[in-house]
Amino acid sequence: MRELELFFGPQHLGMVGNFSITLKVEGDRIVRADANPGFLHRGFEKLMELRTWMQNFPLVCRINVVEPDHMELVYSMGVEKLAGIEVPERGKFLRSIYCEMARVGSHLFGLWAYANMLGFDTVAHWAMYHRDLLLDLFEELTGARVYHIYLRPGGVRRDFPDGFTDRLVETLHKIGGKVPDYNATFFENSLFKKRAEGIGIVTREEAIRMGAVGHIIKATGMKYDIRKIEPYDAYNQVDFDIPVRTAGDAYSRLLAIRDDMIESVHLIFKLIDKMPKSGAVYTKTPNPFKWTIPKGETYVRCESSRGELGLYMVSDGGDKPYRVHFNTPSYNHGLTVLEKALVGESISDVGNIMISLYVVAPEIDR
Amino acid sequence: MEILKQKLSSDFDGLNIHIPDDKRMIISIAKESILSLLSYLKNDGYEHLALISCNDWIDAGKLELIYILSAYMADDTHYQEKEKKSIIIKTKISRNTAKFITISNLFNSAEPYERELHEMFGIVFEGHPRLTPLMLEREYKIPPFRKDFDTQAYVDNTFGKIPSIQQQKEGLQ
Repeated sequence: MRELELFFGPQHLGMVGNFSITLKVEGDRIVRADANPGFLHRGFEKLMELRTWMQNFPLVCRINVVEPDHMELVYSMGVEKLAGIEVPERGKFLRSIYCEMARVGSHLFGLWAYANMLGFDTVAHWAMYHRDLLLDLFEELTGARVYHIYLRPGGVRRDFPDGFTDRLVETLHKIGGKVPDYNATFFENSLFKKRAEGIGIVTREEAIRMGAVGHIIKATGMKYDIRKIEPYDAYNQVDFDIPVRTAGDAYSRLLAIRDDMIESVHLIFKLIDKMPKSGAVYTKTPNPFKWTIPKGETYVRCESSRGELGLYMVSDGGDKPYRVHFNTPSYNHGLTVLEKALVGESISDVGNIMISLYVVAPEIDR
Repeated sequence: MEILKQKLSSDFDGLNIHIPDDKRMIISIAKESILSLLSYLKNDGYEHLALISCNDWIDAGKLELIYILSAYMADDTHYQEKEKKSIIIKTKISRNTAKFITISNLFNSAEPYERELHEMFGIVFEGHPRLTPLMLEREYKIPPFRKDFDTQAYVDNTFGKIPSIQQQKEGLQ
């Protein structure tokens, strides 16, 4: 049969984000896939070399539009490591609660994208609504709905307002109470199962060979999670589990994401219980206009909702970073894993597989 | 970390190993032995290539390549010391003749990183299966992530100089 070249995205209904794939197809089957990023390349890593340590925050959070909070976290961790700053105990808890809120919000957004792409509009609307409830809380806490810039080197910007944790618990109960409905209409719906089961399989060997992280490796049974491997902030003070699946297909990846979201909600409750009732929330840092950081280099990492997120940062002793390089999970998943996972699948499953790999285009482009 | 340091020092010549804390190790190595060191570490269990990065040390006339390796879990459910560690491997190449060998046959995930470095720093990775542009649209005389690339001058030359608010006001009058 004749091979055809097909351009999939960036303007395509099944495509989420500014990303395109060039497909070689034979009939309906994909023979070869070439990822084509760069539609959103803003050169942030170069721009950050021209701005001071604190001025970089508005750029950092824009690297991942869906989940800016872990970007702030990993950048703050890098600056703290280079400058030798410690975070106070209460600050650590606030950070972890805030990051788990972001994880739940990001998973709800991912659920929206998946359900919307497959035509489950009801579920998509629920997920968007529940994410919006979390955004209301973010707005109360930071004044912004999407790009919060709440974290800073040395802790967080300000303490939680009075009664904030109560409202957070109430909202999470509201979201958690909807989980049976989500299960019935989406996760255990045979229409969805037939679309997702056995699609885009990434085995353990392939995942390791291609350097996959996050729920791709969790869907093959490995509890690979930086929160456990290299605990940061308050994660070593609470007990939580890493949900895994074993099949390695799109369905088990999505279930791993769902379980991770539910685990995050429980984790927030545990963190709120254990949190010190008072105390400082940030360590004072020097005047941001005159802040110089000693010469050195560091590699820090944390677990974002998409997997291991790393930052390699170099300081030459000045008031600006000499080099910043983010290791974002989507980069590897979108450019290496996706190309392999698409081969042999049908055209109608391209968006399905791409969203199950949780690829966010701005994270690739940076 | 100390055990690995001793093992590496006995097997390789000319290594400069620095251990900032118990989770990180920074190894500087001559460019000739980078492939053997990476495959040695890969066989030793450090098979997750987290990042390939590059530093432009313009004063020294060198480009510094950085490879960061870490380990996957040996046991699916139990956490051990090994996966906590990240190894940062650095090697310097000449800035004027920026050529290096690819490691994409050793690590699958290296391919896009090397494509990006080719584009942003102008490094040619010999033996790379497709060294085509990844992100950028235009051609650049100086690779844009090098330190001598002037972003302001580039913007002015490409998109035209935007007059200041003062000049705009004077123009209106």
